[in-house]
Amino acid sequence: MNKATTKEIINKKTEKNSINPLFSKEALNAIRKQFNNWKSSSVREYDRDNWTVTPQTTLGSEIPRKMIYSPLDISELDYTSDLGNSGQAPFTRGIHPNMYRGKKFTIRQINGFGGPEDTNERLKFMIKNGATGLSVIFDIPTVQMYDSDDPISKGQVGTSGVAIDSSSDMDILFRDIPLEDITISIVTHYPSNTAILFPMFLVAAERRGIPWDKLGGSVQNDITLEEVVRSGSEYIPPRDCFRIQCDNVEFIRKNVPNWNFITLNGYNLRDFGTSSITEMAVAISNGIQTIETLLARGYEADWIAKRLAFFWSISNDFFDEVARIRAARRLWYKIMKYKFNAKDSRSMWMRCHVQTSGLTLTRQEPLNNIVRAALQALSATFSGAQSLHVDSYDEAYAVPTEESALLSLRTQQIIQSETAVTEVVDPLGGSYYIEALTNDIEKRILDEVSEIEKLGGYVKAIESGWIHRKVANYFHSEQAKMGKGDIKIVGYNCYKSSYKTPPIDVFKYPKGAEERQKKKLAKLKDSRNSRKVEDALKSLEEACRSSTNIIPYSVECARAGCTEGEIFKVFKKAYGLWKPPVFF
Amino acid sequence: MRKNIKVLLSTLGLDVHSRGVFTVAKYLRDSGMEVIYIGNSMPDEIIRAAIQEDADIIGVSSLGGAHLTLGGDLINQFKKEGIKDEKVFVIGGAIPDDDVGELKELGFDEIFTSGATKEEIVSTITNIFERKLV
Repeated sequence: MNKATTKEIINKKTEKNSINPLFSKEALNAIRKQFNNWKSSSVREYDRDNWTVTPQTTLGSEIPRKMIYSPLDISELDYTSDLGNSGQAPFTRGIHPNMYRGKKFTIRQINGFGGPEDTNERLKFMIKNGATGLSVIFDIPTVQMYDSDDPISKGQVGTSGVAIDSSSDMDILFRDIPLEDITISIVTHYPSNTAILFPMFLVAAERRGIPWDKLGGSVQNDITLEEVVRSGSEYIPPRDCFRIQCDNVEFIRKNVPNWNFITLNGYNLRDFGTSSITEMAVAISNGIQTIETLLARGYEADWIAKRLAFFWSISNDFFDEVARIRAARRLWYKIMKYKFNAKDSRSMWMRCHVQTSGLTLTRQEPLNNIVRAALQALSATFSGAQSLHVDSYDEAYAVPTEESALLSLRTQQIIQSETAVTEVVDPLGGSYYIEALTNDIEKRILDEVSEIEKLGGYVKAIESGWIHRKVANYFHSEQAKMGKGDIKIVGYNCYKSSYKTPPIDVFKYPKGAEERQKKKLAKLKDSRNSRKVEDALKSLEEACRSSTNIIPYSVECARAGCTEGEIFKVFKKAYGLWKPPVFF
Repeated sequence: MRKNIKVLLSTLGLDVHSRGVFTVAKYLRDSGMEVIYIGNSMPDEIIRAAIQEDADIIGVSSLGGAHLTLGGDLINQFKKEGIKDEKVFVIGGAIPDDDVGELKELGFDEIFTSGATKEEIVSTITNIFERKLV
């Protein structure tokens, strides 16, 4: 049986939409006549011959651009059905009527290093300096789900993030942080570690007497991160990983109603190596399959989709980035409305966190990165994103210092407070160029979504290695363009200077996190009820082997004081291991 | 006749990043070297694979901050085995300038930081190989 693709459904259901184009036939005829005259008389031959150019930018869409855009490029644009006002379907111009006048984008910088004691200090520093949201990232062993005392974690505890082994570490991480007042993005990249770490967070909140429905924030919980982007030693199979992703969604939606249970992550896939189009097609395909699975479990589309969020990368092709976010908002609206028959406008919102692109940062002349990140942050602001992380200039060397983290925060505050760009909603909307690009990008994303659907859906596209191959082909060819200088990178492959920039201060990890974590683990293992631990792990394993939602069992594990490594062992035992393909 | 250079690449420890190591793998293979990528590995796994494969070049990737701890461990284990001088050791990734000198002192023959080009990587490895092992 051939299932209709999302593209076919949308095209069919929108074909009868009445068209009230902005420009009348007469106006377009006059414009065309004037345009053609001007092009042949005033434009020099060279420019006519090179009318379209394809921008070569880091991780760009490579959509060809004309020299100038006019009403002729958006001749069918219908304001009411293609754009609408902000806060109105199809939400092209933004999800809220007043956008940043009502609530400025959340300044949400990622933090994490050392033990929970160290990161707790940095979180308080960021709040003190005006951060309006928090984001916590975990160290490599925690992301990969090994305990700090596992021999495989040696030398890596507290690197690139904060070390968490059990729910007691969550107590320390969020000590004195007002969990009811500030939203927290808990960057649990994978479905598997979301299923382990988020319950530990919930148990920590419970111990502080905070009801779960008072908690606001997000987890990432994305199969793409676990099975495609990740480099790891042990992977569970994609199908099981996807099931855990959906279990997380179901459990969190039911029990922590104000929490974003998934952040469909385009960012890391793009920075790993995909175009700006594929980034969105993949995240949207994952979103579609997730909603279909939850529908099959008996839930309503409107109930599910209210708390779904996206995470996009913002790179260098300035207008492309603005148009892309606008296109994704319109497309997600159409998918929710026409494919899933959603009724509530909130469940049709493409809400997103964005981060400036780490791949664009250079080690050469690192201060140039401040300029890159500021420009990317500005295009994110024009796009109408809900929250923003600005990368720090020293990230090609190490994780940010306190000084560079503060500068990233200041970049956002300068945009919000000094430039007035947040006073007017969707300031680039209505530009012939931006609207033509938005239309083009929307079509391209939908084409790639259909391609994935024809492969049998996103999980199949992972299992078959299709997505791994696509990413590898992309970044090898992009790397070659950077090497040849086709993609220009100032101070690296063009305008190289013999001027030796003075060295910058680089972050040094605090000493002692590994020893501290090991001591705490030894103490935990001495003090907890080992019978309860064993029972909790055994019940979790049984749940994994059945079709019941596994998260309540993982919460019990967190309550019993199980460690992250112990829970991951259960997953590996119940699901077995999978070997992802490698292409080079 | 010159022997074909055999390279063993791995991602050090649990590091989550792999774009860099895949890119280097392709550079080296395209330049005619034999490349084996063994994925995420701890130093003892790397040494086992190096012996089994009789690799000339041991290349490890680290972006997560474990270059000194695990990198040092790797070199020491090769020294203990008595085969440190039979191999060329290179490391690449997100490595602060201050640590570059320290990694050289530990015994790495070359450190590639972000932005290293294909030409730099291929010619440096070839030169060290010819100087040290031929």
